Amino acid sequence: MKTWVAALLYAVLSAITVVVCFPLLWAISTSLKPKSEIFRWPPTLWPENITFESYRELLFGGAVASAPGAGVPPSAYFLDWFANSVIVSVGSTAISITIATLAAYSLTRFRFWGQRAVPYIAILGYMVPSVIFVFPMFLTMVSLDLTDTLLSLILGYVCITLPFCLWLMWAFFRGVPIEIEEAALVDGASRLQVFRQVVLPVALPGIIAASIFSLIVSWNDYLFGRVFMNSMENLPLTVGVMHFFDGTHVDWGLMMASSVLMTLPMAILFGFMQRHLVAGFGAGAVKG
Amino acid sequence: MTDVVVRGLSKSFGSNNVLKALDLLVPSRQFVTLLGPSGCGKTTLLRLIAGLERGNGGEILFGENRVDHLPPGERNIAMVFQSYALYPTMDVARNIGYGLEVRRIPKPERSEKISTVAKVLEIGHLLLRKPKQLSGGQRQRVALGRAMARRPDIFLMDEPLSNLDAKLRSAMRGELRRFHLDLGTTTIYVTHDQLEAMTMSDLVVVMNEGIVQQIGTPEEVYSKPANLFVAGFIGTPPMNLFPATNSDGFLKVANTTLPIQISSDLPRELVIGIRPQEVSVVSTGEPGAIPGKVWMVELIGSERLIEVEIAPKLRITAEVRAKHRAAIDDHVAVRLDPTHLHIFDPVTGKALSA
Repeated sequence: MKTWVAALLYAVLSAITVVVCFPLLWAISTSLKPKSEIFRWPPTLWPENITFESYRELLFGGAVASAPGAGVPPSAYFLDWFANSVIVSVGSTAISITIATLAAYSLTRFRFWGQRAVPYIAILGYMVPSVIFVFPMFLTMVSLDLTDTLLSLILGYVCITLPFCLWLMWAFFRGVPIEIEEAALVDGASRLQVFRQVVLPVALPGIIAASIFSLIVSWNDYLFGRVFMNSMENLPLTVGVMHFFDGTHVDWGLMMASSVLMTLPMAILFGFMQRHLVAGFGAGAVKG
Repeated sequence: MTDVVVRGLSKSFGSNNVLKALDLLVPSRQFVTLLGPSGCGKTTLLRLIAGLERGNGGEILFGENRVDHLPPGERNIAMVFQSYALYPTMDVARNIGYGLEVRRIPKPERSEKISTVAKVLEIGHLLLRKPKQLSGGQRQRVALGRAMARRPDIFLMDEPLSNLDAKLRSAMRGELRRFHLDLGTTTIYVTHDQLEAMTMSDLVVVMNEGIVQQIGTPEEVYSKPANLFVAGFIGTPPMNLFPATNSDGFLKVANTTLPIQISSDLPRELVIGIRPQEVSVVSTGEPGAIPGKVWMVELIGSERLIEVEIAPKLRITAEVRAKHRAAIDDHVAVRLDPTHLHIFDPVTGKALSA
């Protein structure tokens, strides 16, 4: 490639990177500013005085006794919300992935009526916006007496993530040659051993990809949390942090610190898993 | 040691009858090739013997024991797949040792067996690699090593050489044959490549449309084909097969009565088979030769193929030395060597004796 083409390419890519990363950098910057600096004009790109006040309030605010009669500040619930988000994301992902993996495997390996249609119907279901599902599902939760419980969110997220996870795993298993399973059967492995020792390791990149998808969808969801949950202590993070707005003012410091803390787990997870996404693909096992 | 006996084995996929009441005896310690065109049922038969498919009728015995109800892992067989089917996430050593691992052979013993096999196959330096880091020939060896490590009673091989390039394939043919002689394990080998079948086998089983056409040594299926299918399938270039009549004990081809005596008991309508190597091209007017016109000439290295049209749409191919000159549309005659003539019944296709 010619040097100037490369230079131009890098310039464009750098510009895009800045645009994409700026909100995150701004959030980090704001979260570290003292309250007096947040609204200063012209704004400072990087805080003159770094303070961890907002983080301290979020992470340890629950332990601070509030002034009598002032009620509990929303920041005291932050750790509850965080735990709720972790529980519902991990819970719904575990359920989705387990069902999707087993279902996709059977869809590619066993013959039964409607076998070809199932993945397509599933992906069709995923294409319907979740807004359409949320109220019928809310009414179902009401009749099951599950509203305002983490279980209702877990079930809700399974409904929206399962179809795509199933599709992803199905596409993945279709690429896993059946001969390697037959070879293992001939080698004397039981069906279960074949699945655990031969199929699952090969499917791992697919499982990781589907898990990341499912975790991100349920971690970032706002709609289901807003509709299904009421009590302060049961909210997921996305809905909870909205309480930093109140009628009169917005606590941008807390807001931005929460955003940073919310982004962190997903960023760490992605950085860690990315390596596994490409590793171990079945390519090369069978002629190639 | 283990004979493989197949009795009345049938298999159909839907309405497609792939195997039709097939009988077969594979004697212990022999290298037996199932040879036939694609779709003849040879791979299905192998998979049934492996236990990867269940038959719709009939039985399979290893020695005295009926095995058709056993899962593949309990038949003590090893199989080499066309695609090699190595476990992509395991390194070469674990690939080879996996059969021992699931049988709970202790690790030291397992390692010893793996290194023995690796040594024989000259893949000792590859043991820590993953399959995708290997070349086609190396994968082939690992697949073979996986089959050998367990010391199975029977080797089943499904076109194991077809993904290799021509040079490697011919080298591996010799090696496979050598391994078989050293190990003496009963081997059933599926191929559509008659060269593999002819060069490697003790016995060749020629199959077509789910039926065994002929079982014999490579020499037998080549020189004494049991029927028209085998005659046409074995040999390159293929055998000339053309209609002839029994004219009072003499053979008559395209209006020429040949000085070739046959039994007058034979039916009037016959099909004659003769290999191109047993046909000579002579000048017209020679007694006992069939006159015709050169239709096509092809040089195939040291030999030349001359196709002679002896009647409309009826051509006989002769394989002659390359120095033999013939030009298209030359008037020539072909002479058939009577000692290498095959006679078939046009209705049943069966070989008849002259």
